[in-house]
Amino acid sequence: MYGFQQNGTYPPVMASANDSKWQKDAADQNFDYMFKLLIIGNSSVGKTSFLFRYADDSFTSAFVSTVGIDFKVKTVFRQDKRVKLQIWDTAGQERYRTITTAYYRGAMGFLLMYDVTNEESFNAVQDWCTQIKTYSWDNAQVVLVGNKCDLEDERVVSMERGKQLADQLGLEFFETSAKENINVKAVFERLVDIICDKMSESLDSDPTLVSSQSKGTRLTENANTQNSGCSC
Amino acid sequence: MERWVCPNDRQLALRAKLGTGWSVHTNRMSSFQKAKQLNLDEQEQIMRVMQRAEYLDQSEQERIGRLVEKLDNMKKNCIGNGTTQCVLCGDEFGLLGSSPTFCDDCKKAVCSKCGVDTINSARQPLWLCKICSEHREVWKRSGAWFFKAIPRYVIPEKKTDCAKYQARGRIQTQGSRRVRPGGPSPAWHRGRGSTSTGTASYGESSEQDSSSSSEDEVNFNSKHKNKRGAESESDNISIGSSRSSHLYGTHNLADSKTSITSGNYGGAGQLSATESSRGDDYHDETDSEKSSLSGFSRDGSTRSHGVGGVAGSTRYDDEHDNIDVAINQYNKHQEDDEIVSSPDSDSGTSLGCLEFSLLYDSVNNALYCTIVRARGLKAMDSNGLSDPYVKLHLLPGANKSTKLRTKTIHKTLNPEWNETLTYYGITEEDIVKKTLRLSVLDEDHFGFDFIGETRVPLKKLKPHQTKAFNVYLEKTFPLEKDDDLIAIRGKILLSLRYATSRQSLIVRIIRCAELASMDSNGYSDPYVKVYLKPDKDKKSKYKTSVKKRTLNPEFNEEFVYEIKHNELPKKTLEVTVWDKDIGKANDFIGGVQIGINAKGERLRHWFNALKNPDREFRQWHVLSAELTPEVYT
Repeated sequence: MYGFQQNGTYPPVMASANDSKWQKDAADQNFDYMFKLLIIGNSSVGKTSFLFRYADDSFTSAFVSTVGIDFKVKTVFRQDKRVKLQIWDTAGQERYRTITTAYYRGAMGFLLMYDVTNEESFNAVQDWCTQIKTYSWDNAQVVLVGNKCDLEDERVVSMERGKQLADQLGLEFFETSAKENINVKAVFERLVDIICDKMSESLDSDPTLVSSQSKGTRLTENANTQNSGCSC
Repeated sequence: MERWVCPNDRQLALRAKLGTGWSVHTNRMSSFQKAKQLNLDEQEQIMRVMQRAEYLDQSEQERIGRLVEKLDNMKKNCIGNGTTQCVLCGDEFGLLGSSPTFCDDCKKAVCSKCGVDTINSARQPLWLCKICSEHREVWKRSGAWFFKAIPRYVIPEKKTDCAKYQARGRIQTQGSRRVRPGGPSPAWHRGRGSTSTGTASYGESSEQDSSSSSEDEVNFNSKHKNKRGAESESDNISIGSSRSSHLYGTHNLADSKTSITSGNYGGAGQLSATESSRGDDYHDETDSEKSSLSGFSRDGSTRSHGVGGVAGSTRYDDEHDNIDVAINQYNKHQEDDEIVSSPDSDSGTSLGCLEFSLLYDSVNNALYCTIVRARGLKAMDSNGLSDPYVKLHLLPGANKSTKLRTKTIHKTLNPEWNETLTYYGITEEDIVKKTLRLSVLDEDHFGFDFIGETRVPLKKLKPHQTKAFNVYLEKTFPLEKDDDLIAIRGKILLSLRYATSRQSLIVRIIRCAELASMDSNGYSDPYVKVYLKPDKDKKSKYKTSVKKRTLNPEFNEEFVYEIKHNELPKKTLEVTVWDKDIGKANDFIGGVQIGINAKGERLRHWFNALKNPDREFRQWHVLSAELTPEVYT
């Protein structure tokens, strides 16, 4: 079910010239942390627009369905640290599901998005949550995002219902508009903050940190015999 | 819930219902699966995204590699004992007035210069030695805090032609013990021509050794002296030995298995030993020690073939070289005698390609197989990656005696092995008759998945002439009986269904087929055990009845696990088949684990059952002998 990669040997080649921008972003090593985020949600809730607004500050109403997966890279400055975000945009369509779920495992944070003008997309939130639980690491952080809040006339999911669901699922909640650039930055910044907090916590509470230190020395086995120094 | 099932899964489920005793292997499975679903444009588009992602991953791995290396260098430079001396700088506590503080992480004594005052997440003060502080930093920066282990990384490595590298502002450091065996030396797969450089650098590193030992003589700090003296001594020994193997190694290849590796790779390593070491020095006086130390440990690692992983630099440069090359011109023609194949044309898809070189030494009857790397391997694991390794066999007559394998490189589709595997006692007659089979396999928790293979008739080789290959893998599935590639012990047909009304997972053991015979009568007396892990009080253990004298038993027995649906993803179903023996321990025939950590058809089966409550899914599973059952009784 994850075998699509076999459909061609892909050389590590950057295919076209318009890759140069991202290549520059990607090559930028001037950062402290790298977080991988994933945007999920039903088809046409505005995941791609949301990402474009955030990463490129651009918006178009034209709907182009995302093919499988895509990502953008953006470096932000939070809590005195430069955090490089690799933000994966996933296709909402079913047919790409096996591809997109393959990327859950590496993600530290999820933006679970629905469309406030689309009841079905809201009803699917629970299922998306199950998907996250199934495929992601346990400690991945999730925020619930109700997008297209600029379309007040067409709204069918009230903010209260969104909030209620978020509480029920134990998620933080935002209503956003990629079109009007409402809360877009805030969502990402909040998610980054949550992950940063988790990170600090994990260092102080994580017993694996100690055991990992012996693991660290395992990797350096050759030196151990000569160096009885700090084994931490 | 219907919508979680992709059409192909449905097809599979239908096929499974036929109960006609088919069994699929993941590579087959996936080849018909996605190809139908995604059209070429889509595939290409996704592939491009994945390339970009891979590029990013690569630089991320290098970044983490640099972090790890920095930390290791710091650790290497620790000289104190952590009780009466500062663990880092080795300053004695007590007499001269400095008093120790203890690192909150490693609890060792540190002097005030080598410690860091910081706070934890609860804003409480924390006193850490610089090592532990750096360790926390690495933990955060690498993402290890999240994944509970340091993610895959590559240690940046010195190469002769690394101008590009430096132009990009990458800091080139050597001095890691984990320099991958040979990854590096492009001279190796281009025909092993690095003799002169190798020798030159040996000379230089010996010089450094002597300088460090002479420094010892002036240094009257007894602790330092002892320690360092010992190290320089061992350095000399190891360099001496690698030099001799270098001199003899390349021409008199069969002396020892590692001679060829240490000769060449040692050379590559030594080249960089002249490079001055990078920062993080607390103490200037340890500089010379460090360079000699690194010289030593590099030799150590080449001899021990290092700790798996990939050499980043070679690959990185290749990427760079290729940057303007179109996708289908992927194969580089570096050498005249390189053999490059084209992908399987019928499928239009590729399993990946394998780069390796072969050298037959007719004087010593040795066949050297250097497995360099693979590219674009098919992903076999749920993380979109594989854990590939290469197995070699000599055909005909493949059996365990001709089996050689490389290390496993985890979580990659572009593994770099750079390992030389050697067959001894290969006669000229063998060369005419035999074929070398190279199979790339994906290591699994138990067993493996077959990715692809290629075969080389040895008569293609000319004695004493290295021949390089860069070939696409083919999917000849190893079905031959004489093949020990798979320790298949039979098959089992299972049915899974989640019954919402009963809040239960219903497991039905339908039948087994082609079980291995465990008794002298050529049969087994099989029964099946089922176990839903993890499960503390072992309540989930069930057994079928025993079927006498059969290798194709039919059980049709059903077991019910009362469990909430949302708890199922945490569970693994372990099904093991046993041969009942009276008066002695029962023999383990084979087993299969089905759950979220399984792969291929096992994972699919589990998901189908989970995502489609109240529907029954039947599937054949291959029984592996390599599963160590938890309920081994």
